[in-house]
Amino acid sequence: MPSKTLLRNLRLLSGLVLMAFVVGHLSNLVLGLHSVAAMGAARWLLLDPWRNPVGGGLLALCAVVHTVLGLYAISARRSWTMSRTDVVQLVLGLLTPPMLITHVVATSIASDFDRNFQFAYGRMLAVYWSYAPKYAFQQLFVVMIVWIHGALGLYSWLVLLPAWRRIGGVVLPVLFAVPILALLGFAESGREVLQRLESDPAWKSLIVDNLRPISALVAQTESAQNQVVLGYVALVVLVLMVMLVRMLHARSQPVRVDYDGGEFALGRRGLSVLEIGQAAQVAHAHVCAGRGRCGTCRVQVEQGAESLSPRNDLEEATLARVQAPPGARLGCQARVLGPGVLVTRLLPAHADASAAREPADWIADGASGQLEPAP
Amino acid sequence: MTDWLLAAKLRMDALGADLAQAPREWNLWIDALATSLMSGTGVRAVTYCLILLLIGGSVEWLFWTYAYGPLRALQATLARSARQVLGLGLRRLLLLCSGVLLFTGASIAASAVLSWPEGVQEAAVAVCLWLMVVRLAWAFAEVLLAPGRSARRLVPVRADHVPWLMATVLLVAFFGGAARFLPELVEQVGHAPHSAGVLRLTLATLTALLLLVAAFGFMGRPPRSVLAQSRLPAFPRSFPAAALVLLGYTVWLLGSAALAGVTIIVALVLVLQMVLRDAVFFFWSGRWDKSASPAGAAPAAAGANQLLPQIVLSASRFGVVAIGLGACAIALDTPLAELATRQGPLVRFAFSLLGVAALALLINLVWIAIRSAIDQRLASIGPLDPHGEPNPDARLLTLLPLLRVSAAMVLVVMLVLSSLWAIGIEITPLLAGAGVLGLALGFGAQALVRDVIAGIFFLAEDAFRVGEYIESGTTTKGTVERITLRTVALRHHNGPLHFVPYGSLGTVRNNSRDWVIEKFNLPLPIDVDSETVRKLIKKVGEAMLQDEEVGHMLREPLKGKLSRIDPGVKIFRCKFETVPGKQFDVRAQAIKRLEAALKAAGIGFADGRQTVYLQRGGEPLLIEGARPA
Repeated sequence: MPSKTLLRNLRLLSGLVLMAFVVGHLSNLVLGLHSVAAMGAARWLLLDPWRNPVGGGLLALCAVVHTVLGLYAISARRSWTMSRTDVVQLVLGLLTPPMLITHVVATSIASDFDRNFQFAYGRMLAVYWSYAPKYAFQQLFVVMIVWIHGALGLYSWLVLLPAWRRIGGVVLPVLFAVPILALLGFAESGREVLQRLESDPAWKSLIVDNLRPISALVAQTESAQNQVVLGYVALVVLVLMVMLVRMLHARSQPVRVDYDGGEFALGRRGLSVLEIGQAAQVAHAHVCAGRGRCGTCRVQVEQGAESLSPRNDLEEATLARVQAPPGARLGCQARVLGPGVLVTRLLPAHADASAAREPADWIADGASGQLEPAP
Repeated sequence: MTDWLLAAKLRMDALGADLAQAPREWNLWIDALATSLMSGTGVRAVTYCLILLLIGGSVEWLFWTYAYGPLRALQATLARSARQVLGLGLRRLLLLCSGVLLFTGASIAASAVLSWPEGVQEAAVAVCLWLMVVRLAWAFAEVLLAPGRSARRLVPVRADHVPWLMATVLLVAFFGGAARFLPELVEQVGHAPHSAGVLRLTLATLTALLLLVAAFGFMGRPPRSVLAQSRLPAFPRSFPAAALVLLGYTVWLLGSAALAGVTIIVALVLVLQMVLRDAVFFFWSGRWDKSASPAGAAPAAAGANQLLPQIVLSASRFGVVAIGLGACAIALDTPLAELATRQGPLVRFAFSLLGVAALALLINLVWIAIRSAIDQRLASIGPLDPHGEPNPDARLLTLLPLLRVSAAMVLVVMLVLSSLWAIGIEITPLLAGAGVLGLALGFGAQALVRDVIAGIFFLAEDAFRVGEYIESGTTTKGTVERITLRTVALRHHNGPLHFVPYGSLGTVRNNSRDWVIEKFNLPLPIDVDSETVRKLIKKVGEAMLQDEEVGHMLREPLKGKLSRIDPGVKIFRCKFETVPGKQFDVRAQAIKRLEAALKAAGIGFADGRQTVYLQRGGEPLLIEGARPA
């Protein structure tokens, strides 16, 4: 069993590298609001670092690592209880590789075919806007999917950091603005390119001449692409099967979690306290949706502490960070292995990200999960 | 009649033509769409649509970064009463709807600044609105039905119906939104009227089928515990429900959309009126207050809880009908403002009648409120015990029925006058006539009016209650036995019963209020020690406080002090304070005890014995035992 902290940091790091690449890509598109020439001019800064073997290799490595870790996280799921954000992340994350593969194959073939052709931004745009709108649609959807996936991941990581109070006001608008501006830039540059296609027959014929062999090459790789996608789908199905088997495996061993205030929840052996509570709709704070980052699901174990799984390194670190009392556990990490436990929720159910950023503010109150109704 | 049949036939013909023409038209349209999509125009359209999506999503996300905490707090709050549940539900609805509206507003506003290919903006806006309809329906259904959270549910629905109802509401919203926005779009942007007709037909049929499935699927299922509860089986609701659905569908098919809309609205209003009572009383059903009141207080609380639901029920019935009328007007596309100003006598009369009906409903509402409040108060006072302690609520038994009758009269007069006025009958002469009549009556019944008005003030000021001993300014005195509108009946302690009109009651001296101070003298021989006697009296007073018989009547214990020295006599003034009317009993008890105590202490009462010195020739002569003159 690899260290949870290590896995988490690896996933985060690879995600950040991928996000940096996407930001560069989209920023380049934003320049389309000015002109196609500006897009080309900024290429050396925003795109070229990823074109050399080092950058490209890093990017490929990060993509593979991120995908594998994501699939691993899915296979390691113990229950269906997840937040809406998690569902979106999961679906978008699973969709990304097959959507992206055509783009990667097409651009790499094109760049092998003629380096000059590929890097002339205007020509690529002309292909998208005029000759192969299919790829344009694919690109647009990939941009949406990748960006939403990345922005959600980045946001849910950053919002828990103490620095969010200072940078949040900048990061959030940027997260919103980049894809919108990029799409606007794409539309504007498309208009410019279409106009040039009308007015510049020589340019047009150059593109058409180059396009034919490239598209032939791309068509040759189609079966290979399909096989890759098929393999990926098989992998995903395998991962889902693993998840399903794990879930069904522990079905027959019910356990019980009692809460302060008399509520209780029944669940399967091996689920975490939080998962059992969520399935029974017990109000329980969980800002990071069970990733062990935020510490808002921490509970005091009153009875049956020996029924819980031992603490892992992630839990130790988070509990120390949020200044939890000695006997506390994280509801999302403490799995119920024995017959049952009695826990007291240490934060009210409406605790938000600020409880992770400024844990000291939330320690005094919130001894019970039941709060008085607001006046 | 034949006109209607003809119209129905025309409509069927049109539908048939739609069905025949649509496939070809649809293929042409799809081809055109595909061609324009697979070009720069299509790319631009898709790009812009994605931009709208991103802008709307961003704005909503920003909203939720602030609103999610409050929403979770609302979800986690355990409501303790019906009002709290409703309040929390409304706040959650506000948050959810705000998110949806922000998304829609931002997207549609952003669509204004983009330069769209032809027809795409309309499509984008229509889809935004469609999405909004579905999401609003979702928000409402979630707040009302609260799937999985029976403590938060705002409507009386069986728990096993909730998921099905939720699905039905969402699908109906989906189809309804589609029927509202899509055919119009197909007709105007796609220039494909036949396809639009087929689309309408499909959506209407799907909705009708869905509702039929809902009616027979889960509404028809009896509760599982029917036998266990040994209740009679309920009226099968699925058949009327299905009949309503079929009626609406048939009217749509043969008549027109507007007519079908009116049919559906009328059906909905009827159904709502039927379930409204349960829905309103659901909030006062004690579902939430099981632990709130102890068992003894429950009946009183139940009585007090009848007023508000009645008012709410009437108001809701009124509101449902008003909304239904408004919806009908919208469905029929009636230019209401124009209609109201038009000079047709029949139309104006109809509007007047509508106004009168609204007025009657409003006055009925006020009447229910007043009557329930008064009845409740009367019921809580209960019948008066004439032999008990004077009760401050007794005057209410006189005043409240009077108030009820007066309110009824005022309301009826107001209703009649306002209705006449609304219909257009001049009421000024009536009012003037009533004024003259009132004046004449007023002069004639001056004394009567004076008595009644004075009586109202006496009662309002709580000058006396039944059972109190009062003296009026006209030297009539006695215990109040009965209070009526015009007179008060006083029982003199010798037996006669005085009926005193309030107008001649004058100053009232009430001997039965709050407390009474009683004083009496205790003459003792001149040679007793004052301090000893004072202490003795005090001791007696303390003993009386402990006494079971008189202790509770005393407010201040018996005390005494030397107040005067007469020749041969020390006069001790004794004083105590009791509740009104008990001073005589207490005084008797006090004197009895004092006598015993003095006897025990060896002190006799002043016996009036005096020493008289007679002098005859310088020899004083002492005569003992002479009585004072």
